[in-house]
This record gives sequence, structure tokens and C-alpha cells, in this order.
Amino acid sequence: MGCEVISKERVGVINPMYDCQPAGAQYAGIGVKDCIPLVHGGQGCTMFVRLLFAQHFKENFDIASTSLHEDSAVFGGHQRIIDGVLTLARRYPELRVIPLITTCSTEIIGDDIEGNIGKANAALKKEFPGRKIHVVPVHTPSFKASQVGGYAECMQAIIKTICDHKVAPTGKLNVFPGWVNPGDVVLLKHYFKEMGVDATIFMDTEDFDSPMLPDKSIHTHGRTTVEDIKHASGAVASLALAKYEGGSSADYLKSEFEVPSHIVSTPYGIANTDAMLRKVSEITGKPIPDSLVKERGIALDALQDLAHMFFADKKVALFGHPDLVIGLAEFCLEVEMKPVLMLLGDDNSRYKKDPRILALKDKCNWDMEVVCNADLWELEKRALDKDYGIDLIMGHSKGRYVAIDANIPMVRVGFPTFDRAGLYRHPTMGYRGAMLLGETIANTLFTHMEYTKDREWLLNTW
Amino acid sequence: MPMVLLNCDKDIPEREKHIYLKVDGEDTRDFLPISNAPTIPGTLSERGCAFCGAKLVIGGVLKDTIQMVHGPIGCAYDTWHTKRYPSDNGHFQMKYVWSTDMKESHIVFGGDKRLEKAIHEAFDEMPHIKRMIVYTTCPTALIGDDVKAVVKRVMEARPDTDIFTCECPGFAGVSQSKGHHVLNIGWVNEKVGTVEPEVTSPYTINFIGDYNIQGDTQLLQQYWDKLGIQVIAHFTGNANYDDLRAMHRAQLNVVNCARSAGYIANELKKRYGIPRLDIDSWGFNYMAEGIRKVCAFFGIEEKGEALIAEEYAKWKPQLDWYKERLKGTKMAIWTGGPRLWHWTKSVEDDLGVQVVAMSSKFGHQEDFEKVIARGQSGTYYVDDGNELEFFEIIDLVKPDVIFTGPRVGELVKKLHIPYVNGHAYHNGPYMGFEGFVNLARDMYNAVHNPLLKLAATDIRGETTTRFLEAAE
Repeated sequence: MGCEVISKERVGVINPMYDCQPAGAQYAGIGVKDCIPLVHGGQGCTMFVRLLFAQHFKENFDIASTSLHEDSAVFGGHQRIIDGVLTLARRYPELRVIPLITTCSTEIIGDDIEGNIGKANAALKKEFPGRKIHVVPVHTPSFKASQVGGYAECMQAIIKTICDHKVAPTGKLNVFPGWVNPGDVVLLKHYFKEMGVDATIFMDTEDFDSPMLPDKSIHTHGRTTVEDIKHASGAVASLALAKYEGGSSADYLKSEFEVPSHIVSTPYGIANTDAMLRKVSEITGKPIPDSLVKERGIALDALQDLAHMFFADKKVALFGHPDLVIGLAEFCLEVEMKPVLMLLGDDNSRYKKDPRILALKDKCNWDMEVVCNADLWELEKRALDKDYGIDLIMGHSKGRYVAIDANIPMVRVGFPTFDRAGLYRHPTMGYRGAMLLGETIANTLFTHMEYTKDREWLLNTW
Repeated sequence: MPMVLLNCDKDIPEREKHIYLKVDGEDTRDFLPISNAPTIPGTLSERGCAFCGAKLVIGGVLKDTIQMVHGPIGCAYDTWHTKRYPSDNGHFQMKYVWSTDMKESHIVFGGDKRLEKAIHEAFDEMPHIKRMIVYTTCPTALIGDDVKAVVKRVMEARPDTDIFTCECPGFAGVSQSKGHHVLNIGWVNEKVGTVEPEVTSPYTINFIGDYNIQGDTQLLQQYWDKLGIQVIAHFTGNANYDDLRAMHRAQLNVVNCARSAGYIANELKKRYGIPRLDIDSWGFNYMAEGIRKVCAFFGIEEKGEALIAEEYAKWKPQLDWYKERLKGTKMAIWTGGPRLWHWTKSVEDDLGVQVVAMSSKFGHQEDFEKVIARGQSGTYYVDDGNELEFFEIIDLVKPDVIFTGPRVGELVKKLHIPYVNGHAYHNGPYMGFEGFVNLARDMYNAVHNPLLKLAATDIRGETTTRFLEAAE
């Protein structure tokens, strides 16, 4: 009995859990308004990531490529950087931010990113004297970290480049939710509104869920503005909700501009949400309002119907982004489920020392494995092992065939979830997120009971 | 009418050479868009990379083969779950990707050892699989790993395995097209002729350039079965690795996608004397013509006519039902390249649909020669079209439906234009007679989607129709 934290033993990967660094950087980049990321690399590095985002959100996002071809790989891609920046500036008059995202190839070639940005800036100044375009150097070689680190890297680079001086106090709270869905952003904004807290979300992805309108206008883009970013240095504090996807930006604002930094447990589940709201209250002096006590109560009321009746002792396998997986494990404990397998998909050495994982380890009185640097083959082998006995899989759509082939019910959560409709619209965070997640788990288990004729009659009277 | 410089391209005037508006009386001697040329950086081109042309399009279709991607994780992740090519063995090829997951130290010190270990692991983990393709990527090509030497060592250590190396980094060429070429030529050089097939029919073909999108290959296989023709190898829909090693034994190469696989057909002709016969597998007229040509080659015309008659009797009434309702529909095709010329005439002849704009990501000059010859006047022919150009052309030609990929489909949705997946289909297969009825049905359902009318309604404005009160 107890928890083991191990790493995958194989060197190769069979079915990865995460995409590479530049993919994560592109996700952070599209959260900014009037911004088109420019990926310096082969065209596939952009085209497939755009497709991935389109699969998940059912939306198109604008991301450009420097279209590195063979000659640039040999002689360097300098001119393509400058051409790319200028072409974007000329054809997109509203454009204000261009994150220049490197890839494995251009990091190996050793293109001087900062030097070329200097040249591009000079050319921009000459051609567009009244217009400021922030070209942000984002170093994300694919052979380091993963989409998780790439997201954090691009976020920090954007802040570093645009938030270049200490502004007058704004009274606002910087919030770094990490790589979450528009549904989570809407929920967080609702919480801050209820508390009377003026918060800026980095990045505000609410409009990633965008409408078809009679006038045919397109609103699918991030809402975080250049001004929002500039004003981050004057905030009362920064609140990072994801240690591995926003913590570094909060820490940067602290070291550079003395904005107090708070990194809390990601608000998945009731207790983590409580802790976040208490922290917001502590930072801002604003009390937690009755309305949120009621929302909390509704979630508890819903989960109470499910926990010891249907969820208790269910063995759960979790995979996805580290902050998500850890948060989900904590949520599982709240509703009496047993996380038996947690898969974290890159080689970040900090996971093994994460206090949340150490705390789970302390609490654990059943067999539990945490596999770092894991791939989905690690999941598949255990899922097919009847003795391991996984009852429920929670993770993103890339694991769908494991669930299908092992005939284990699976709840889609995280990124990407392209094989279920509309999930990006719903929160996973907060009380409402916990309730929706609990109810999705229940309904998934119920459907499985019916299709496998496993005590489906329980539900006749439930 | 010469080449067209769109308003959105005024700052990249070289784009004028890539966009042609056909006018009556002109032909391709006068105007032919430049194609297969470098992309202008920052244009939001639709192109992919050479690696994906090799791995995702062709090699990755094989249903019994490990696809080992030697590079950082993204190249494997991104070429997984983006295609709809099933197989008859449980879709092994769609379930898995493999990567050597290269890290910084391997970039510095070389990735050969890691590759060797990853190959052994992959075979150990899946002991029933004995075939593999290893792909290089941008970083492994740049650092110069000797992949072929590694593969040779593994094959010596594991004599029951066979491994093909495809050295096609993403930056090679200007689009995915380069990857098609590299894989074609590499395969015929190294693997064709190394397996002898069991020949069971006096009539044998290779069916080249069809990737079993939503079951295309399996649908056409019914025709070959009825005709008594043995397909030695499908290149590469629903195929086994070893099938493709026996391609030298077919009497005829029947080519559908000439862009992605014409190369291997040409090489098989040169090296083994196997004639090449190009057909179009989409559309009634074309499919019938294709069957006639193949049957004429073998002198089994009667069988061919019987099959065509049987299929027409079964499917033509359904096609005509849709034709009646689709006549005059304006269609745009924004796909890879060949489907432009495969489809423009077949939707016109079989469905009365007018193709008003076409854009190709990776077509070459010969693709544009074909499509301009087959296409209509008043139609735009675009090479490597980009997003702003698409908006402008939509304004100019006002298509009723666009056949393109899902991401662009999401974009044009906001403009109230329905899309049908021109790469992976909505509900295919689309090849053959039955398939073209599927295409017609999907187009009909797209164009007649009631939501589009609702989307155009502004509920704040005057109502044009009177709504019935529930109580009335």
C-alpha cells in the first residue's frame, strides 16, 4: 500500500500526452488581442497546431509561419523573420503583437532571434512611424520541455517584452489561470465580479467560444490587450492558478516590479476553490459573498448524491497537464474515488518534488502510481491489465482508444477534447466545474452500466 | 484576363503570378499560375511540411507498420488523429504514433543510440509487429544522425523485421509534396522487388495514390473483386508493408492520385516495364471511364460493362435526385491539389454544380494544366492561397459550399458558408459510384442546412415572415 512516484523506463514514446514547446507557445500567443504569432520553423509546426486548436475549439485561429525551406536551413532564416514580420504588419493593419516563436530547427541553425527582431523593429519604425508593434522573442526549441513549458515560456516572454516599466497602481489583480478552457475563464470572471475584484485574466480566452452573427463578423480571438499587459506591473498582486503554466510569469512580475506573487493550488474541486477564494479575499480585503456560498452549496448538494453511492472506491486513472492531473486527484479524494494512476507527460524534474504530490503520497492508503515522463502506452498497458482494475479514465481525447479497447468508461477533460462536443464551453474549475465534472462522471458510469448490463437496474429507483 | 492581383495582396505583388481567372478563349499557353514555389513568410499559407507529406499522407496509412518518428515529440503528436483512413484490422495505423522524443543532449551528442533503443523497445512492446518506417525530422536531419546505419544494425539483430528509412525533414521542399516524392522514390529504390506475391488471377494491378479515406480503397476493392482483378498492392490504402514490396509483379499500374504517387508509377514503368494508366475515381463518368480503360487493358470489356450497368442501375437514380436539387450550386474547392482536377468536371457533369474557385496547397504545374483545362471560365485558380485571399475570393464568387479542411471550415462558418471536408470527407467514402452519391448527399445537406438561414436573421430587425403564435 502506498504511492510510488516513478518515471517511464523506455526512452521512446508510444502515443504522447503532450505536444511540443512551440505548440504551447502558440496557445499562449493566440490569447492576446490584435496578435498573430509567427512561428519560425517548418510549415508543419504551425499548420498542425492550428488544426489541433480547431479540433478542440471548433474555431479557426490565425497563426503565421516563416515557412522555413531548405535554403534557410542551410544559410539561416534571417530574412524570412523580417519578411514575415513586415508582411504581417502590412496586411493586418490592426496587428499590435507578434510573438516570434522558435522551433527545434531554427534553434539548431542558431538564427539570431533578438538581432533579427532589432532589425525588424527598425524596419517597422521606418515604414509605420505612428504604429507600435511588439515583436516578442519566444525561445521554444521542441527538444526541451513540452507544450506545458512552451505555454509558460511564451506567457512570460510576452509580459517581459510588453510590460517594460512599472506603471502607477491600478488596483487590479493579475490572474494566471494556466492553459484552461473559455468555460473556466468565464467562471473565474464571474467569481471576481461577485467579489467585486477588478481582475485581468492572462490570457482572456472567453471569445474562443465565438458566435455566428448576422453581420458575419468574426470574433474568435484573445481578449487580453497590450494595455492589460502593460498594466500588469501596477497590479496589487498576481495570482497564479497553475504552477507550471503561469507561475513563472507571476514570479517575474514580482522580481521585476515587486508585484506580490501568489501561486495557489489549481481550483479543481471544492477545497481547492475554497482556498483560491480565501486567497483572493486575503489579497484584496473583499469578503466572499453569499452568492458564492450558495454556488458552493449547490455543488456540494449535487456531489453528495453521487459520492458514497456511486463513486466510492472507484479506481481512477488520470492523465493530462500536471496542474490538472494533480487537481483532479484531489477532487477524486473529495468524492471518495481512488486515484490509482496519475500520468504526467514530460520530463520536468520538479513534479517529483511538488508539495501537492508529496501530500497525496502522505494521504495514500491504497496502491497508487505517479508516472512522470509518461506516454499513453503506460496507460494502455495498465488499462488492459484486469488485476490493475481501472474503473474510470479521466483525460484528453488522445487516450480515447485506450478506453475504447479496454472497455473502460472515460471522462474527457483537459486539452484536447475533440471527440466530445462543446466541452471547452464548460468550466472544470470552481464549484460549478466540480459539479459538472462529478455529474459527467456519474452519467458516463451510468451509460457504461447500461451498455454492459452491470446493475443497470440500480438506476430504476435512483 | 491575365493573372489577378487581389487587393489584399497589394503588399505582396508577387502573389499575382499565383492567381488566375479563366476567361473564354484563353488557354494554359497564355496563363498558368506559378506553383510548387517557396511560400512568402507571414502570409498564413495553408501548407504543411515535407515530413507530413511522407509520414501522415502515405507511410502512416500502412496497417501493420510501426511509424517511428526520429525527432522531438511534436512531429509525432501532430501527425496523429488528423486523418480518417481506417483499415480492416482494427485501425492499428490510426491508434498509435511512435517518437524517439529527442531532448537537448541528443541534439548536442547525436540521437543514434536513442533511435536504436527506441526501435528495439517498440518491437519489444508490440511483438506481433515486424515492420517499421523510420522518419527523420528537421532536427535529426540538421544534426546528421546516421539513421540508415542504425536501421541496418537493428535489422541484423532482428532478422524477422524489415525497416524502411524515410529521410524527409519538414523543411525539405516547399510543401508536403516533397515528402510524397521522397517516400515514393525511396521505396521503389529499396523495397520493391524484395517480396514475391502470391498471384491468384491472370489480371493483376497496383492501385496507386489512394489512401482509403473513409473506406475508399475498400469500396473500390469490391469492383476489382467483381472484375476478377487482383490488386497486388494498394499504394497505400488499407495496405500491408509487404504488399508494397511486391509491386514489381503487377501487370498494370492504375494511378488515381498522380501528384502524391505518380513518381512510383513512373519508376515501376522504367524499371519493370509496367505500364501506367491514370484514372479518376471520383464521379460516375470518370469511374466508368476508369473501369473501361482497365478492362480494355486486360480484354475483359464485357465484365466491365456489366459492372458499370449494375452500379448505374443501383446508384444513378439517387445521384439524379441530388443532381436535380444541386443544379447551379456554386462550389469552391480548397484542398491539396489533385482533387481540384479530379472534381471540377465530375461535379459539373454528374451534379450540375459549378466550381467557381479553387485553391491548391501543393499542386505542381501539371496539376494546374489539368485543372484549368477541365475547369470553367469565370473561375479562380489559386496556388498556395492564404486566408485574406480566401476572404476576398469569397466576396468575388460567393460560393454556396466550400470543400476544404475542418479549420478553414470553421472560419467560413462565420460567413454563413457551409463546408464539406474536402480532405477527410464528411460521411464518405466518396470514390466510386456509391461514394459520389455520398458526396452529393453531403453537399446537399450542407447547402440546405436550415441553420444558415437562421444565422442570417437579425432578430433585432423587421421580421420578413410572420411567426405563428402558439395560441393561434
